[in-house]
Formats: sequence, C-alpha cells, structure tokens
Amino acid sequence: MASAAHRGALSHLRQALATIDKDKGFSLAGEELLPLGLPAVDAALGGGLACGALHELAPAAPAQFGTAAGFALALAALRTAGGKGRTALFIQTDYAALEAGALYGPGLDCLGLPMERLIMLRVPRPVDALWACEEALKSRGVAIVIAELPEAGEAADFTATRRLTLAARAGGGIGILLRHRPLPIATAATTRWQVAAAPSTPDRFGGLGRTAFDLSLNRNRRGHGGRFIVCWDHHACAFLPQALSVGVAATADDGSIDPQRPLARAG
Amino acid sequence: MTDRLIRSGRSPAPADKPLVVAEPVKGALRLAGMNDAADGLGLKPGMALADARAMYPDIAVADADPEADRRMLVAIADWCDRYTPLVGLDPPDGLLLDISGCAHLFGGEETLRRDITARLHAQGFQARAAVADTVGCAWAVARYGTCESLSAVIPGRAESASPESLTTAAGYGFRTRGPTPAPRNDTSSDRTIDALLPLPLAALRITPETVTALAQVGLKHIADVIDRPRAPLAARFGEAFVRRIDQAVGRTDEPIMPRLPVPDFVTERRFAEPIALEADVLGTIEHLGHELVRLMERRGEGARLIEAALFRTDGKVHRIAAGTGAPLRDAARIRALFVERLAAIGDECDPGFGYDVVRLGALATDRCDPVQTGLAGPDHAAELTHLVDRLGARFGLRRVTRIVPQDTHIPEYAVAAVAAAVSSKVYEVHTRYNRRNYEDPRRSVPSPLAGEGQGGGWRQTPNSQLPPTPALPRRKGVHARLQRATGGGSKPSLRLDFAYSPLDQDSLAPTRPIRLFEQPERIEAIASVPDGPPVQFTWRRVRYAVAHVEGPERIALDWWRDGQGHTLTRDYFRVESHEGMRVWLYREGAFNGPASTRWFLHGVFA
Repeated sequence: MASAAHRGALSHLRQALATIDKDKGFSLAGEELLPLGLPAVDAALGGGLACGALHELAPAAPAQFGTAAGFALALAALRTAGGKGRTALFIQTDYAALEAGALYGPGLDCLGLPMERLIMLRVPRPVDALWACEEALKSRGVAIVIAELPEAGEAADFTATRRLTLAARAGGGIGILLRHRPLPIATAATTRWQVAAAPSTPDRFGGLGRTAFDLSLNRNRRGHGGRFIVCWDHHACAFLPQALSVGVAATADDGSIDPQRPLARAG
Repeated sequence: MTDRLIRSGRSPAPADKPLVVAEPVKGALRLAGMNDAADGLGLKPGMALADARAMYPDIAVADADPEADRRMLVAIADWCDRYTPLVGLDPPDGLLLDISGCAHLFGGEETLRRDITARLHAQGFQARAAVADTVGCAWAVARYGTCESLSAVIPGRAESASPESLTTAAGYGFRTRGPTPAPRNDTSSDRTIDALLPLPLAALRITPETVTALAQVGLKHIADVIDRPRAPLAARFGEAFVRRIDQAVGRTDEPIMPRLPVPDFVTERRFAEPIALEADVLGTIEHLGHELVRLMERRGEGARLIEAALFRTDGKVHRIAAGTGAPLRDAARIRALFVERLAAIGDECDPGFGYDVVRLGALATDRCDPVQTGLAGPDHAAELTHLVDRLGARFGLRRVTRIVPQDTHIPEYAVAAVAAAVSSKVYEVHTRYNRRNYEDPRRSVPSPLAGEGQGGGWRQTPNSQLPPTPALPRRKGVHARLQRATGGGSKPSLRLDFAYSPLDQDSLAPTRPIRLFEQPERIEAIASVPDGPPVQFTWRRVRYAVAHVEGPERIALDWWRDGQGHTLTRDYFRVESHEGMRVWLYREGAFNGPASTRWFLHGVFA
C-alpha cells in the first residue's frame, strides 16, 4: 500500500492525466480519495472512495439495516479521523428512526466514531432529508453526510441523486445515501453497494469476532464491481481483510492488480 | 368590547344603534361596556341589564367575552410595537408605551399621539391617548381628562394613550417614560401636577372602596389630597394610596414591564407602499441585516437570536425568529436563515395586502471578536456553524442535535440529544420568548427551539438523570413509576455532563449497538438452559439461529425506581446469527419459570 506522499504524487499524476484526457465521462481533476486500506477494494475504486461524490448503500437483507448503517458509519469514522475537527452529519427521517432505531452514542464510540464528531438531524419527510443532504454537501462544513431514507427511498430517484452528486462535487464532501431496501432504478451515484452481514471469525473463547461486512459493489463508475468480505477493527479504526474469506478477497495480496505498486516504487 | 364585536361582523346591531355588552356580576347581568349610541342614552357601566332594558326595550345585547377582549388587547399591543419596542399591557383595556427617544421619529409627541389615535380609529377602535411624564399621570389623563387636556398634556418625555375607557372599551395605548427616569425639570413636574389636580380620585388607580372612603370624608379630587400631610393619609387609607400619588406626580419611579423582550439592536424600514413579495421581504431583511451588522460591529457583538417583525397593513404582526449557534455578524447569512424560516413556516405567514413596516432585531447577542481570515482555505468550523443554523431554521433547532453522554448505566438514558446550536444565553431568551408566546395563543410564531422531534434536547428534570420522555417499555407501568419517582417536571435546567469514559472494549466486537430502538421490541427466543443464552430467536417474523453469543451482561435499573421494591434487571446478550447479523437481546427479570420469561431486542450492531 502506498504511503501518504505517494498517494499525493498519484493524485497529481491523475490530475495531469485528466487535463490531457478531457473526453472522459468524468473528471478526476483535483479529486480527493478516501482509501479504505484494502488493496482489492481500493483497486476497484481507483485508489479509494471518491470524495466529492455520492455513494449509495442498501442492506442486502431487509433486517440488516444495522449492518448497512454500520458500514456507512465506519466510512464516516475513517473520513473524520485525523483530528482535524472534521464532522459527520447523519440525516434520518422520523420514520426511518422508528423503523430501524436511532443512532446510539456509546455504540458509535465503540465503533470508532466518537460522539463529538457527529451531528444528527431528524427530518419529517424523505424530501427534507434530500434537501438537507444537498445543503450539507454544498457547504464545506461537514466532511461526510449520510442520509438515511426509509424503505427503498423512492424519493431519491435519478434526478435527486444527480443533484446530490453535483452538490457533493461542489462541496468536496462524501455523500452517502442509505436506503433500507435496494432500489433497482438508474442512479447518478458514483458507486452503489449492497451491504450484508458476514459471519465473523470468533475469537479464541468462542465470543463474537470483529464486525464483518459482505460488500457487493454493484455499480462503479470508476471501474469494475466486485464482492469483498472485509471486517472492521474498531480499535485501530481500519478495515481489514477477512481472515477466512471467500476467494474474491484473496486476490488482494496479489500485486498484479494493484495500480499503486509501481508508482510506490518509482516515488 | 363593542368595537371588537362590530369589527368582527358578529354584532347583533348596526354600528350606529345602541349596543351593550352584559356580563354576570354576583348573579345579575350588568352592563360591562357599550357603544357611543348607548352611552348617549344615558346608560352607564355597572347598571343592571334589566334596568337598561326597562328604560330602552330595543337595545341590542351581547355577552361579554373577557378572553377575546384580552386577545384583542394583545393584538393591539403587537400593532403598537411599530411605535416603540417597549409596550406594556394594562389589562383590561389599557396599553403603556414607553416613547422616550421615539417621539421625534414620528414628528413629536403630539403628532405621534394624533397618529396613534387616528390609526386606531381607522381600524374601528375608540381610543384615547395621553402623553405624560409618568405612567400614573398618563393613565389618569387618558381615562379621566377632558378632550382639551388630552392634547394639552405635558410636554413630557413620556406618553400614555388610552382609548375611551369609560364607555366603549377597546384597545388602549398609554405611554410613559422608561425604567430609567430622565432628569426632570421643575416645569414639567409642575405641569404633571397641574394636569392631575382637577381629576377625580379614581384617576389615581385606587380601589373603588378607597374612593368611596375618601368621598365620605369629602375628598373627591386629586387637588384635595395632593398637598395633605402624607402620614395621616397613609395611616387611614393605606400605603398603596400614598404610593399611587407618588407614582402619579413622579416622586416614585414606576417602570413599564415590556410585554416582549426588548432587542439589543433594532433596525427597521417603513414603506409608503406595502410590500408583499417574498423576494422583497428577504431583500429588506438583508438590507436591514447590513445595518444591524454595522450596529453590532461598533459594540463588538454578534447576534445569537434574530427576530424579524413584519407589520401587515391590517394590523397583524408576523414575528419570525431564528437562532444561531455562534455570534453572527454577516448580512448574507442572516438572509439565508430567514430564507429557511420562511420556507419552513410556509403559508402561515400570509402577507395579505402587504407589509408596511419590517423590523429586524437582535434579541440576544454575544461578544464576537473579528477573526483574521486565513488564506489557507475555507473555515470548516464557521461553515459548520452556519449549516447548523440553517438546518435549525428550517427544521427547528431541536432537530439538529449532538449526542451528549450522561452519567448513568441504564442503556437508554446513557446519552441525551442536545441541540447542536446550544448556549445558555439563547436558552434563557427562549424561555422568555416561549412564555410570551403562551401568553398569546393566537400567535403562530414557532420558537426556534420548539422543534417537535423526538429525542429532543433539553433536560427537564434537574434532580435526575431521566430525559423528559423515558423510553422504557410501558408495560408494567414503569413509565408512570419513573415519572412519580422523579417528581415530575420542574424548572428547566440544562445538564451537559461530559464526565464519560468510553466503555471498556476488551472484546473483538463492539460492546454496545450502533442503533437502539426507542421501544425494545418483543421477540420469541428459545434458550438451551432455562437461564442461559438464547439459541434461536424470532424477530419481525423471521427466525434466526444463533451462531455466537456473548453474555449475559446484567444491567439492573435503579432500585428506587420500582414502586414495589422489586429490582428490575435485564440480562443482555450480544448475539450473532448464522448469517452474521448481530443484535442486542435481553431477558427481562430474573428467571422464574419458562412461562414468565420475556425476551426483547433492544438494538442492532453493525
């Protein structure tokens, strides 16, 4: 994995490339990326989760909204880490809070997202959530905005996601749209994930292991999709590859598909 | 009273026909008010309705409605706000306005007095107004003075306006000097006394019994008592009587209690032609915002609570308040806040025929030192504050929250949601603000802190750890018991308890769920051993097989919270299903037989 300096060099090269190669469908100029620290995932994402973009999450099974929210909050923890006083905003409709439970502070602390880094907003309707999300993304005050919509979140159609994408691009924050059910319609979001809970590897005493996610990257404007099983180390605040995982994740250690390797050597 | 009836169009008689308002007094219907036509017939307040009917069988009668009268008075007080921010109520039918320093804006005291009576008259009120140095004198002259004395009153720094109090009650204005007495010269003091001398003693705001008692000893006018030795008067008629004399002549200071909090900084704009478009209103607010910012800059302060008062041409006043999380001194941001507020209240703020006065005031301010702006990049903290303000303006400040840990081990009370834009000063002003809104139920201004979201911010119980809406399951009457145990609500106090240490995390998995249900959800669970962990559970009609379990973690509720002396305990288990879904379950109470065991799902892990 490349160090921070190398990543900076990489980003610089990308910028140069983007100015040369203008007819690409999207612009990479000046883009900030949030590396998840997992080579396989980062490779699929082109270096990391794009900041200044919208990402959609939905649980794979109806009752697993806790897992999907957990992944979103883990991303928020990753994004706001570093002690620069960055803040995450979690927007929730009243109904979503009733259906899936309200965020619980001590649990967030346990997950690695200290309470003081989070602001919560409750709104009455899904359209309000979208409005608030757009406003928050436009302002540079928050580093990541998570908007949770109940059910499939039909209010967030192509137009709405397009608006959110533009707002995120203007403000530079990560936008995350969290649905309770996947909505199979076109989206303007940069990536679309389905998050399922994965059985954890129990510790030596048979207790619960690290929180594990089964991520399906169903849509990715930057590259290929894939299925990754990862787990979250809440002490270190980092994603780890699942120890006993299915074959897909194992390719992570195979250097051939990691675009960062040669650059790392060159830098 | 009759004015109100005629204006509302529910009068039983046309305006020029005799109309009286009757109210029950000690079992008999007596006249409480009447219009000019009835007054001309010689009817007087306090007369029995039967007597009045005997004299004039065809008079129209309406029932008294003191509550409606009071509301009308408050509405007129609102309207009078256009003259001065210091408007006090003098129920049942008077208003006190402090016009010191305001009169010159309207072309002098006399012009102001004429203006206020003419405008009230145009709205259908009989009103009398008087300007005087003291509240007492203005009150006396407005109610008991002759027409000439009304206009000839004192060149005082104060004024009182009072509509026709003797006959048709309606709105009354009254103004006097403010809480700080201006240095008075002999001339104005003399003129105050001159104006008072010929008036009857009732003009001194004393009880009818005192008036009667004074009349029995031959004292009927203020001139009869004003120079008498005070000690015998006080001994015989009470301290209150002497105090009233002192207040009337200005020997004792008498402050006006303003009905609304007086803004620290105010700017306003008047229009010859009323404005009705939202864009115009917002443009005006931004323009006024620039002036407000200049005023605050001079004093090194920034606004924490801003109120825009929109005076509609027909007398209704819309008040829209917006709170901020940090002292604000930026006109564009003030405008942005009101964009959200106007969008949030929507149709409630109907411009009708337009607004002719727009006023912007800072109700609460804080010290705000200029900050050197950096060249390095955007100021995230300032952007965040502004975002919170705007979201708060749109949805209510209570809906934008931060989580604050609380000092308790009971899971659902371990955190409280506190408004993100919180500060003691704004809270203090809001308390006043809300009190004022309760005073007038007609008022439709939502207080910025009055969002209706659950998990709202302010703790209401100073002596306990309980939030105002305990989220305990309602079964077994726990809720009621908890309420009783904490002694119900009392004075609001804010508790921000940061003495919190994160839970010990020696497990590979987090020990607390990320989402907690407000009501723990009842589930069916099967345990292999009667008091052991579950092996299978059914939640929302789906059955899950348990793969891994950690627990039990026994959490007991505070023993004093259960009325019967039972300790309520919960055995919590962290459970992972075969699919990998992790939830937080508990078994209620100690195990005493399979029939009584009840399982609940309280939260979900990531």
